Amino acid sequence: IFEYNGSAVVAMVGKNCFAIASDRRLGVQLQTVATDFQRVFEIHPKLYIGLSGLASDAQTLYQRLVFKHKLYQLREERDMKPETFASLVSAMLYEKRFGPYFCQPIIAGLGQDDVPFICTMDCIGAKELAKDFVVSGTASESLYGACESMYKPNMEPDELFETISQALLSSVDRDCLSGWGGYVLVVTPTEVTERVLKGRMD
Amino acid sequence: MARRGGDWVYENNGGTCVAIAGADYCVVAADTRLSVGYNILTRDHSKICELAEKCVIASSGFQGDIKALQKNLSAKELLYQHQHNKRMSCPAMAQLLSNTLYYKRFFPYYAFNVLGGLDSEGKGCVYSYDAVGSYERTGYSAQGTGSTLIMPVLDNQLKSPSPLLVPARDAVTPLSESEAVDLVKDVFASATERDIYTGDKVEIVVINKAGTRREYIELRKD
Repeated sequence: IFEYNGSAVVAMVGKNCFAIASDRRLGVQLQTVATDFQRVFEIHPKLYIGLSGLASDAQTLYQRLVFKHKLYQLREERDMKPETFASLVSAMLYEKRFGPYFCQPIIAGLGQDDVPFICTMDCIGAKELAKDFVVSGTASESLYGACESMYKPNMEPDELFETISQALLSSVDRDCLSGWGGYVLVVTPTEVTERVLKGRMD
Repeated sequence: MARRGGDWVYENNGGTCVAIAGADYCVVAADTRLSVGYNILTRDHSKICELAEKCVIASSGFQGDIKALQKNLSAKELLYQHQHNKRMSCPAMAQLLSNTLYYKRFFPYYAFNVLGGLDSEGKGCVYSYDAVGSYERTGYSAQGTGSTLIMPVLDNQLKSPSPLLVPARDAVTPLSESEAVDLVKDVFASATERDIYTGDKVEIVVINKAGTRREYIELRKD
């Protein structure tokens, strides 16, 4: 069921910045239905979540999370920290332990003092913090290999963009359920850059 | 058939094999770990077999079937030598391997093979197989438990056209021999990090005009 729509999401940490990227294909098993599907969503300007897996659950989960975050903003009069948000997502997923959301989220944000934070979790909320990169989706094994080879610590935003784009495009080219280009977001303390990549359109 | 009630006759002993073809060389590499489930049986098991002068096969999968297959191919190569008074060329061995695998179409060899060597013109060639003998000549290939981790990196790094591009172009990479060996060491290091069945050592065999040389590089043992 994780392979119903097809997806690939990856996030990497650089020097005082992070990048999160996803593919753009939405399919129904072997049929491609959309080539501009958004999987990476903004929660607030320094916090992003990428949701791979079943597209319907990804959208529902995103809507519920935005709702909870807006309430948090009203009550606390500030944005949620990434670590807190990760715990929130984890708790929400575990609530549905015996009837889960078929999603694997990747959370990326700039925390206290703009220190980059990334983490991923499985569909029932087991958090996995990483210092270098996290991957999820149908192309995850390919992504692991590509990121492991291409990643190095403390990359500047431009180099990080190149690295994450190359890793994403090479990995989705080996996975039939993901592809149709890429969408990369590079976030630094001062600016957010969104870029759309053109890869193999299949 | 291979499975009757509860009798599952295969087992996956893990491991990864990679081969890269160059203009006048071929690099074939495989890790040396043999595992069963979550246990390691040995850290020092070669998955590579030299079948002919310029032809080397690396196989991952079920070692029982792999040993049988490699012995079978060596024996057939010896017969060929006696009958034709010359050693088998790499393309000929490629076809032989395909036929041998398909012969057992309904009870296959659980072996994922990569054949590497020099063709009759001295250019590097790599042939990649599935378990029942479907094969293709490519510029590079990876098979085994770490193959999904390694293939995208090879696609990205080797300036040669990957098998994914249409129309099919000449498959050998313009990289030099030492660059190709360095790339192989890097990809194995990355695959070792993320694949539990790959590690211990990598055996790298380089075939060129001058002959065949072998080197062993240490990998993470966990």
